[in-house]
Amino acid sequence: MKSVKYIVRDSGRLFCLISVFFAQQFFSPPLFALQENNEVDFNRDVKPILSDRCFLCHGPDAETRESDLRLDTESGVAGVVVAGKPEASDLIERILSEDEDHMPPVDSNLSLSAEEIKTLELWVAQGGNWEQHWSFVPPKKVQLPKLDSVWGANAIDQFILSRLEREKLKPSLPATKNVLLRRVTFDLTGLPPTIEELNAFKADTSDEAYEAVVDRLLASERYGERMTSDWLDVARYSDTFGYQVDRDRFVWPWRDWVVRSFNQNMSYDQFLTEQIAGDLLPSATDDQILATTFNRLHSQKVEGGSVEEEFRVEYVADRTHTFATAFLGLTLECARCHDHKYDPLSQKEYYQLFSYFNNIDESGLYSYFTNSTPTPTLRLLKPEQKKKLATLKTSLMEVERSRPENSSQGGGRKGIEKVLEVKGTDPVEVVDFNAVGGGNEKTTDARGNAAVKLSGDDAIGLKTGNFTRYQPFSVSLSMNTPDKKERAVIFHRSRAWTDAASRGYQLLIEDGKLSASLIHFWPGNAMRVKTKQEIPLNQWIDVSVVYDGSVDAAGLSIFVDGQEMELEIVKNKLTKNITGGGGNNIAIGQRFRDRGFTNGLVSSFKVYDRQLSSLEIALAHNPEQFKQVLLDSNANGELSSLQLRMLAEHLELNDSETFSKYRTKLKSARQALCGELDRATEIMVMREMDQPRDAFVLGRGLYSSREEKVSAATPSVFPAMESTLPRNRLGLARWLVDPNHPLTARVAVNHYWQLVFGEGIVRTPEDFGSQGALPTHPELLDWLALDFVEHGWNVKRLMKQLVMSSVYRQSSQVSDEMLKRDPANELLARAPSYRLSAEMLRDNVLATSGLLINKMGGSPVRPYELAASFKPVKPDGGEGLYRRSLYTYWKRTGPGPVMMVLDASKRDVCQVKRERTSSPLQALAMLNGPQFVEAARGLSHRLIASNQGQPVGKLVDEMFLALTTRRPTGEERSVVAELYRTQLEYFQANPDSSIEYLSNGKFGDYGKLKSGMKILFPANDHDFRLGETPNGTEKFQGEFGRASAWGRVLTAKEVNRLYGVDRNQALDANWKFELSNRKPIKATSNEAIGENQELSQSFVFENSSKLKFSKGLTFEAWVKPSRGGLGRIWDKITPGGGSGLLLDLHGGLRFICGSVVRMADRAPAVGQWSHLVCTADMKSGQVCFYINGAPAGGDFSDPVEVDDSEDLAVLAAWSSVANALFNYDECVTKR
Amino acid sequence: MSHQCTGYSDSAGMPRRRFLNQFGMGLGAVALSDLVKSDLPADDSSGGAMDQLHHPAKAKRVIFLFQSGGPSQIDLWDHKPHLNKVQGEQLPESIRKGQRLTGMSGNQSSFPLVGSPFKFEQQGESGQWMSELLPHTAGIADRMCVINSMYTEAINHGPGVTFLQTGSQFPGRPSIGAWLSYGLGTANQNLPSFVVMVTKNKGGQPLVSRLWGSGFLPARHQGVRFRSGKDPVLYLNNPAGIDRSSRKRMLDAIDALHHMQLEKQFDPLLETRIAQHELAFNMQASVPEVVDMSGESKETLEMYGPDVHKPGSFAANCLLARRLAEKDVKFIQLYHPGWDQHGGLPGGIRNQCRETDQPSAALVKDLAARGMLDDTLVVWAGEFGRTNYCQGKFSGGNFGRDHHPRCFSLWMAGGGVKPGAQYGKTDEFGYNVIENGVHVHDLQATLLHLLGINHEQLTYRHQGRRYRLTDVHGEVVRGVLA
Repeated sequence: MKSVKYIVRDSGRLFCLISVFFAQQFFSPPLFALQENNEVDFNRDVKPILSDRCFLCHGPDAETRESDLRLDTESGVAGVVVAGKPEASDLIERILSEDEDHMPPVDSNLSLSAEEIKTLELWVAQGGNWEQHWSFVPPKKVQLPKLDSVWGANAIDQFILSRLEREKLKPSLPATKNVLLRRVTFDLTGLPPTIEELNAFKADTSDEAYEAVVDRLLASERYGERMTSDWLDVARYSDTFGYQVDRDRFVWPWRDWVVRSFNQNMSYDQFLTEQIAGDLLPSATDDQILATTFNRLHSQKVEGGSVEEEFRVEYVADRTHTFATAFLGLTLECARCHDHKYDPLSQKEYYQLFSYFNNIDESGLYSYFTNSTPTPTLRLLKPEQKKKLATLKTSLMEVERSRPENSSQGGGRKGIEKVLEVKGTDPVEVVDFNAVGGGNEKTTDARGNAAVKLSGDDAIGLKTGNFTRYQPFSVSLSMNTPDKKERAVIFHRSRAWTDAASRGYQLLIEDGKLSASLIHFWPGNAMRVKTKQEIPLNQWIDVSVVYDGSVDAAGLSIFVDGQEMELEIVKNKLTKNITGGGGNNIAIGQRFRDRGFTNGLVSSFKVYDRQLSSLEIALAHNPEQFKQVLLDSNANGELSSLQLRMLAEHLELNDSETFSKYRTKLKSARQALCGELDRATEIMVMREMDQPRDAFVLGRGLYSSREEKVSAATPSVFPAMESTLPRNRLGLARWLVDPNHPLTARVAVNHYWQLVFGEGIVRTPEDFGSQGALPTHPELLDWLALDFVEHGWNVKRLMKQLVMSSVYRQSSQVSDEMLKRDPANELLARAPSYRLSAEMLRDNVLATSGLLINKMGGSPVRPYELAASFKPVKPDGGEGLYRRSLYTYWKRTGPGPVMMVLDASKRDVCQVKRERTSSPLQALAMLNGPQFVEAARGLSHRLIASNQGQPVGKLVDEMFLALTTRRPTGEERSVVAELYRTQLEYFQANPDSSIEYLSNGKFGDYGKLKSGMKILFPANDHDFRLGETPNGTEKFQGEFGRASAWGRVLTAKEVNRLYGVDRNQALDANWKFELSNRKPIKATSNEAIGENQELSQSFVFENSSKLKFSKGLTFEAWVKPSRGGLGRIWDKITPGGGSGLLLDLHGGLRFICGSVVRMADRAPAVGQWSHLVCTADMKSGQVCFYINGAPAGGDFSDPVEVDDSEDLAVLAAWSSVANALFNYDECVTKR
Repeated sequence: MSHQCTGYSDSAGMPRRRFLNQFGMGLGAVALSDLVKSDLPADDSSGGAMDQLHHPAKAKRVIFLFQSGGPSQIDLWDHKPHLNKVQGEQLPESIRKGQRLTGMSGNQSSFPLVGSPFKFEQQGESGQWMSELLPHTAGIADRMCVINSMYTEAINHGPGVTFLQTGSQFPGRPSIGAWLSYGLGTANQNLPSFVVMVTKNKGGQPLVSRLWGSGFLPARHQGVRFRSGKDPVLYLNNPAGIDRSSRKRMLDAIDALHHMQLEKQFDPLLETRIAQHELAFNMQASVPEVVDMSGESKETLEMYGPDVHKPGSFAANCLLARRLAEKDVKFIQLYHPGWDQHGGLPGGIRNQCRETDQPSAALVKDLAARGMLDDTLVVWAGEFGRTNYCQGKFSGGNFGRDHHPRCFSLWMAGGGVKPGAQYGKTDEFGYNVIENGVHVHDLQATLLHLLGINHEQLTYRHQGRRYRLTDVHGEVVRGVLA
């Protein structure tokens, strides 16, 4: 049973990454089995076996190495291999041994297959030579291969063909123009080609047609967006901080920088250098500094109680890993805890690389209680802001230059006495320690004044202290510390320590010394001074902290017992406000989650809203003695310059109008400048500290387990860094882009290859090391890498080179036989075919639907799917729903669920390759997700509009073409047309379903149809009538003039015009009531109708029951009611039934149709003629009332833009067809 | 055109099998093998990366009742009468041993000990100690194995939950359920093999989706979160206006087009896509069916308590967990947040228990009554424990406890775990483990063991290395096995 000793297993152990315990065949079987006569290639055939089965115990990690045997070095291998003699080689002997000394050992769970053993034997037989791992050797100039056949557009093709010829294979035929255009448009812009683009390409029969397309695409701004979309995975870009709390953060300007860089075709070496070290470039521009945000895009922590250093180390490690994965194609994580098991990278080398990224003034926690941008930051200023700041700085300098001459204080006893009589204003607060309660103990100080002994857990809150950084203030107190405090909060104005990044100001004891700070965000935006001397223990001392409002550490002083202390300036970089964030007043002795002044004593606590003079402070400490010293010195004519200065300063601060005026001017100039600075937005960037932070090897990767101290250096397996280069990130970037670097260019071209071919030449782009895949075409990789560097790391040129190749332009069609022979398409005898990325799938439907908003850059947007994410976010209204997926708000702990289902990267760590999986959730998202359903409607709406009067087949063709860039075959056309036909039948039979389906998503505002206000024209057999119900009840009391009805919605203008027409004049309406067709209803009942019975009139419009105003309806009536209350005006209703339509007086003017009931906001006046109009848009449910030509309530917002001619069932049917086709393989797959 | 469709029941079978035979190594094969799997017994394990189980499994599935926030073991399971005696006194340095504390209470000037204000009694024949807060759980005392000697490495929630669920404190690793999906595949082709439910409308420490993520494993292994709303699975329901017949027509048309395409050119990826559409269509029926509790008897509903009628409550989720277990979902993960009682513990923990005690016990009883407890492992655990001292100042009555990684308690039931057992001991202060410590990796190893997996052998190669749930640690805790 396990004993207690396990419990001390240390906390926070980070990555321990090795777990090789059982044998598993990981390498896909070689395409072609090794034959006796084959030449064994060490790197290709032998190294992977040694690495995977032997290196764990016989590899680079000294810690776990057994019997001092290394199989990862030349000399190690030489010791166990006899060239040409497998039978005499220990290596082979041990592998074949059936005794206990068999290798690999049984308990390792590792074993060698017969094939692998054969390979090793063959290798030894052929000489057993050892080679450095291929990717650590710089690419060599490669000759273009000699070929038997002629094929190909450029050099790439020759390499591919050469391999195919060796395999006795042929490349595929060229892809059709349709396929090719679709393929290249997606690859270079992430969007589908338009039909116009297709037609133009097809019409251009010149040899240059394709090249022209490529050039057009590369010049398009969409190109930069597509390339950026890919780079965001690498950069682990996210609009939130991550971890648990995951607040929003402001980093999108970096994303826009990437888009610009790609569009401007920034060379790759520059792109890389600016991101790694833009801040260190000589006279770096803001844009170059902005590029370094790349290094700050890792997750950041704010969870309460976290250990700050633990997470800071985590950030540095993340930067280091990202650097290695993105630019070196190496996984360094292993080496964080121990020497790498497989690659020649030691743990020490890991921390040497780590130390490049360790030197920014950052905190491991961002601020919970404030919104400060974690430091270091860059101010993002618009040109006008820059100008304004410059002006304000100049004004401040001018004010400073206008400083009056120092006053001189002559002397003489009288003069001094006079100065001593000058008093400054009183403190704004004096703490009454007699009144202090809580857990602190009352006591008295050395002078007998009331004092407290602090518990350390109970703060004493004051009423004042919310000072700005441009305002002078002072705090004085007496204190007594019982012991040498490593850290103790004496007083502060802040909401919390790390949880607020200490925003505010504070006096602490740190390592027994006093430290005073003004802080916006600790540590990068703050000023701090610290006494050089420790304070005495168990002794009362008088302490004053004085700040002059200069926003400079030189203006912050600490006095102890009347003496100004010598200070060390720890930080002097305060550029933003120290107010806000809560905790506005001073608190003594304790702070949230900080160490309080436990058992410390405090008394005589005073707060001043001014700068105390040194004279006052000295006097306050010991008035009599100090006075005497001054007077004695004076008497002896020995006033020191310091004493003179003190006297003068006292007067300047407290008794000089000139200085007072100067200070006012100064403060307002500072205030103006500070205000402008506070308004500027900031973004996290890299900014090297003046002195690099010490870096150490961390035992088992644990932040607290510091071992050997290390400094910045690059791993020894690579060419050494030029001695002239600085040992910082800039040097590192320069080293990386040295043309001789074995990895940088290879990794880059591999990355871009993967971007257009779906898989890299090295299929493990994250790992070019021993455990990574070997290049499928090593010579091609090297040729491309060298060519890339020789041509100035020109990315657009490279992209063009790739897509211009004949390999790229092949068809992706494949025979069953070839599919079996090369299922993973490593030989590229055909073009690859694979599902489009998550972003492309969404952007595709947006683009074809016509809904896509091609606006570049700016803050992230929130499409529909975010409402369904794990951390739901309210979707944007308007264009935010239709921007390219690149701009979708990325919340790390709850990214867009559709993006995730479609295999987008999680963006929690650097990722250079995406999974491509297949799951039913994908089908559900693309069939039912509102974005897709809505886009299907957008596409249908667009195509219906442009194909009015065309046969169904034509529209099928257009839809198919829009979604697949080709026309359907006859068979396909009939499948789609049949689907349309059956769906149309369905929607025609279920008009409610049409409306419901069309109401998904906002486009077209069909949503209003659904909102319960939809008006269905009543189906009943009753004629329209005026003045009563068919039962003859609810009679209208009063007179009628003209009454008319239209089968459409009249506009406000038309209504107004109607009002101008005489009430007896007939109009051109669908149905009008006028004298000529007036048909009184027979007296219907004996019902008492009241005193105005003679005025009551009812009329029926015969044969009007067949009228169906199903789209829109307008009722007009001139009425002169003789009373308010009840009274039917228009009516078409089934008595007692629900189905009906009416306009009546019912406590006001009312409209009812089916379940829709609307009231006007006023009623016609009794005894007067009023012109009433009610319009009803049956589709949108909008009802409007007008009285005497003016709106009288109802829904006057923008009308729904539903084309009258639009048949909802048709639209719904086509939409469902489009929605289905979105899931058709050819819409989803790049081929 | 409908004559061209072979329908969803039988359309994809033939070509898929053909594909599997011909392209066993192909890219699509792995994904597809998940799907072709039918209701095979779990120990057959086809569909997963493992060819066969490493040893016979005791449990076929797991229901993990995760109590997020860190429930106080001192007030629930780990009876420490000594603490009541020394209440108010300082935590002795001989017990604390300088071990790190969180930044929340680490700077406190004093660490006053607090005993539990709740009564403890021994329950059942096994005499399990339990606090009065757990009257219903008391009723299953003889079915449970309580471990009082758990310990972890994390002192904060994010790392703590991540550690327990993925074996690493930092993001990026697959969660237990994802490992199981990867290793064992699925036993029900119409439901995901890893389902997650979070109690609705609970405050407390935030949970993040990566806790049930697949890390570097293929995304299909990530947990599928069942929501309590109308769409239990993301966009499961057809959009308004599309009914099942409409949907079928749409899918039939796509299927017809796909088969035309297949005739021209065989393509394993297309085969996969066809199958996924079929599965999506089936899920649209099977998921609503499994979440529909209308067929549950009154007795059953009453057993889970009144909350069972509130969708998304812990009680409703427990009942749903049982229904999913019946459908052979491999790993059912519930989260119930709200245990983070830094202050106001007595009231807070009472509420938490009111929400969880009855449903947890009901789940075990329900499984037992249906004969499913034998092969279903139920785990009740949080990410760490709570301190024996008071966070902030102790003024009696209303106190709080900080995070405590050095010891905590959990219980397991069924699935091959020793019933009516108590395992491991802490010191009389309830601060350190003194007997049979169980590290988080040990728990994970044990869990895998019960499912027939050797935790050292279920590995996945990523970035040049083989990873496993238990990193390079973990030992099966034999003492808790039946």
